[in-house]
Amino acid sequence: MNMQASVGARPEGATHTADATTAEESIAIQEKQAEFDSKAATDLAMQNTLLTPRFYTTDFDELDAIDVTPVREDWDKLIAQMVADPNKGHFKKNADWDTVDWDNMDPVLKKEFIDFLVSSCTAEFSGCVLYKEMKRRGSNKDITQLFQLMARDEARHAGFINDALREAGVAVNLGFLTQKKKYTYFRPKFIYYATYLSEKIGYARYITIYRHLEKHPEHRFHPIFKWFQEWCNDEFSHGEAFALLMKTDPKLTSGGNKLWIKFFLTAVYATMHIRDHQRPAFHAALGVDPDWYGHEVFTKTSELTKQIFPLTVDIDHPRWKRNLETLKTVNADIAAAKARGGVSGWLAKTWGSARAALAFASLYTIPSKPNSPPASVRLEPAY
Amino acid sequence: MGLLTREVERAPCTVEISHKFESLHAHVRFDNGAVIYPGDEVKVHGPEIMAPFGEIVIEQRDATIVRASKLERFWTRMTGDLEVMELCEFSFSDEVTL
Repeated sequence: MNMQASVGARPEGATHTADATTAEESIAIQEKQAEFDSKAATDLAMQNTLLTPRFYTTDFDELDAIDVTPVREDWDKLIAQMVADPNKGHFKKNADWDTVDWDNMDPVLKKEFIDFLVSSCTAEFSGCVLYKEMKRRGSNKDITQLFQLMARDEARHAGFINDALREAGVAVNLGFLTQKKKYTYFRPKFIYYATYLSEKIGYARYITIYRHLEKHPEHRFHPIFKWFQEWCNDEFSHGEAFALLMKTDPKLTSGGNKLWIKFFLTAVYATMHIRDHQRPAFHAALGVDPDWYGHEVFTKTSELTKQIFPLTVDIDHPRWKRNLETLKTVNADIAAAKARGGVSGWLAKTWGSARAALAFASLYTIPSKPNSPPASVRLEPAY
Repeated sequence: MGLLTREVERAPCTVEISHKFESLHAHVRFDNGAVIYPGDEVKVHGPEIMAPFGEIVIEQRDATIVRASKLERFWTRMTGDLEVMELCEFSFSDEVTL
């Protein structure tokens, strides 16, 4: 045994080139140091994005009073499926996670795509905060268990998106907890309508992109899209849970509440239309026309919501598209007026808001299509 | 609780921040059972809590709860619903043009 090898047998102890006893060891340490330095530099250069989720309260007594007995069979099946957690382990990077060439990505696309990831991450995160709060404040076992399971999924999704953001050099900052925050209030039924729709439209949005990219893999510019299928199945189950919750109380989907349902459908679709048109480069890179995409998603969502809603909105009515376009234009005008400020800005903003209200009223008054929901609520993802 | 006056109270709390791949979450739990009502403001004291990637940080902290006045609570209950659209996942970014 020669001397060098014998000394080299304990190189693990050396962490500095000065302590290295062989050239190989020294090179290895230098390489390790370079890796560390480059990582530290990346960390420093990371763009810091502070997550700003909102905090909510609701009528927790009303939530506790929910009795799932009328839908017990379906409820237990759904909860059992969520407890079994078929997607566990799915949100992990594997060989399908190709390297992303962030440096050579078109800067406009990169900006829009990162905005897409940050807003998705915030949404998942806010969902997690809301569900966790409902879980903690409630005492009805059925309800708290459901919200606990949904909070788990949302936190998992947020973690997965966060990882994609880290790769892009965007560090998510969770320091918001030590900032002052005000709790707002939503009525439980508004939470049902809005989150039910949000989960179902979320499913329709993800699956439409997933199916499109199956046919056109050349447009898949980031590996995260490959995970959309399982992702949207979580959204689907969450929507199912809210559908069952609404089924326990027929008043929620009849009488004056029909007007609220129509309001939420119209508002959610209109918001999506405006938001999607704010990311033209993102949709162009996916090879998706936002108008086609919107129509596709609205059609799927309307079909799905027939499981519980007593109506669907008429998205083929001539007034529909025209007023969506007006809303989109007016929204940009209002933003420009706000940025301009002053008296003329204020006037332009007020005028814009009036036009937006009129366009929304025109959408809202399009006669809806009545629907008789089936006796059994449950659906399976089929798109 | 007065109609227009706000009361301030302190509450010990447990903060949990998870910055793990499996779960990104952050929660505050009041250890004395304090309950938050509409319009209340909460501030957790101390330096910003940063969980390094891959870790969960759990800390005991103090929080100040500024209770909303009766009027504010009423107002929040009446108007909070107007903001409900933000629960929809695609409406979170405020920027109109990116």
